[in-house]
Amino acid sequence: MSETLLSVRDLEVEFDTYGGTVKAVRGVSFDVAKGETLAIVGESGCGKSVTVQTLMGLIPMPPGRITNGTATLKDKSILNLPAAEANKFRGVEIGMIFQDPMSSLNPTMTIGDQIAETLRVHRGKSHQEAFGMAIELLEKTHIPEAAKRARQYPFEFSGGMLQRAMIAQSLACNPSILIADEPTTALDVTIQAQILELMLELQRTEDMSIILITHDLAVVARMADRVAVMYAGQVVESGSVDDIFYQSAHPYTLGLKAAMPSNTHDRDKSLTPILGSPPDLFQPPAGCGYCARCPHAMKICAEHLPEITEVGDEHHARCWLQHESAPTIEMLHQAGG
Amino acid sequence: MLMYTLKRLLAGVITVWFIATATFIAMHQVPGDPLMNDKAVSAEIRANLEAKYGLDKPVTTQYFIFLGNMLKGDFGISFTQQNRKVNDIIRDHFPVSATLGILAIFFAATGGVLFGALTAVYRNRMPDVAIMFLVILGISVPSFVFAALGQLMLVNINSLFGYSVIPVAGWGTIWHMLMPSLVLGLTTMALLTRLMRSSMLEVVNEDYIKTAKAKGLSPTRIFFRHQLRNAILPVVTVLGPQIAAITTGGFVVELVFAIPGLGRYFVQAVQQLDYTVIMGTTVFYGAFLVFMVIVVDILYGFIDPRVRLS
Repeated sequence: MSETLLSVRDLEVEFDTYGGTVKAVRGVSFDVAKGETLAIVGESGCGKSVTVQTLMGLIPMPPGRITNGTATLKDKSILNLPAAEANKFRGVEIGMIFQDPMSSLNPTMTIGDQIAETLRVHRGKSHQEAFGMAIELLEKTHIPEAAKRARQYPFEFSGGMLQRAMIAQSLACNPSILIADEPTTALDVTIQAQILELMLELQRTEDMSIILITHDLAVVARMADRVAVMYAGQVVESGSVDDIFYQSAHPYTLGLKAAMPSNTHDRDKSLTPILGSPPDLFQPPAGCGYCARCPHAMKICAEHLPEITEVGDEHHARCWLQHESAPTIEMLHQAGG
Repeated sequence: MLMYTLKRLLAGVITVWFIATATFIAMHQVPGDPLMNDKAVSAEIRANLEAKYGLDKPVTTQYFIFLGNMLKGDFGISFTQQNRKVNDIIRDHFPVSATLGILAIFFAATGGVLFGALTAVYRNRMPDVAIMFLVILGISVPSFVFAALGQLMLVNINSLFGYSVIPVAGWGTIWHMLMPSLVLGLTTMALLTRLMRSSMLEVVNEDYIKTAKAKGLSPTRIFFRHQLRNAILPVVTVLGPQIAAITTGGFVVELVFAIPGLGRYFVQAVQQLDYTVIMGTTVFYGAFLVFMVIVVDILYGFIDPRVRLS
């Protein structure tokens, strides 16, 4: 594996709410290497967005709180920094784009000014110089008539064009990492493909890493080098994209794959959902979070949190089934389980 | 932008015409007429006077004469004040009311935006609670109470220094204007503070504020460049009607502070059924109101690009 840029260890984040304390992230670890794409996959509320927003210092504290863990970017800690310190890497080393481009840009500033603002603040450029660079950035993201578009306001852009502008903005200071928090969820499918294509292209030309947050396995298959599957605030399985898809080691990953719609099967075949719902994170279970929904759950799963087990080269799963003393799934099937 | 302005102006002219007509109709529905106020006049004198002022003609004819004169900018002669044209009354006293009103609006707008932003930043903490308490006070207490209290305060200050630091009443210097305009703007300031606070709290949760943070902008820059400008939009919207409310509603304050503004004539004219002065001041105030709303609308277009181009 090449040089590690970002390293997150045992991150735990809580929120104080009127209903009690929500343990949104419960010990998440991952690494991002130079030039690779890490996809963080999971259903709504699994803590994937909270994880990356914590890294960027976007979680309001209070009510949020980091209770444990470290995160280092190029060997410098980035957690719990005051705004002035955090702004040395936010927008500079790490760029970020969001789910809904329609509401992610300031409606009262021109697109060009918003992109130029980053350059003026971090690179000390003059307004004119920064605006010129903003136009170049818009051209880089294939926005036609960039010079004219830069003088327009967000409401004059379509959703796909706004996401391109967001990408242009996040690239302004040549970041080494781009965090994309569900960048295509709010866009329609054809635009989605274009945006993903653009991200892949820019990753090559700009030589940057991407952390892609998504719940769409099709997007993962297309984009990712490595994948971290999150469930109930924990990474339940991580590995290369091939390992995750073809050597799935955690029952949740298998469940996600089974739930994917497919166009090769019979039309009348209905989708296979994962039955039940995720655990209540006000009172996280003592054992495995997936235990109540898992078709292979054992007694130990409800009582003890599974250890992280290496199931292959750089391929880990947090599941008792992968433990050396666990019965294999084949054995369970033979036993009629 | 030009089309937008022209459209607004045309709508404004129609509004003024509507105000004029409605006032004319309402005025003629009130029992009595301006000639009945003084001691009984003989039938012959009365007929002469009616002929002089055109009151003997049918109401519709009077209406068209009035409209024609209005277009020429002539509102006629006052019925009750000797030898004074309505135009002169407006010319002499409106600048006083306008100065007072503009100063009041200035206090109200700057104070409202400032305190509103402050309460939003210190949400649910001491400054917020204290200011919001004053805001509710400002909205609920009528302006003549504040006017009297303000005067009392000035009296105390002056007696403390032994000479008149700030005059308690009257008109002339900037010092005369200070207290009355503050009192006049207080209610509006309270309203704007409340509006600004809720608007600020809404904007804080907008996605583009998160984007600005992720861009690595300083909190001060986010506050001024991204939050304030967007939060100020609803405040600007209500500014137009508030300007009108302040300039026309100032007569209580004008009375308490003995300010020779137009408000007094406006109220007096209604009591004395001084037809020409009622019509003149009402139409003038109406036109002023409409004009201010248009000015604010155009101003709004400069702050919010979405309005400008659609």
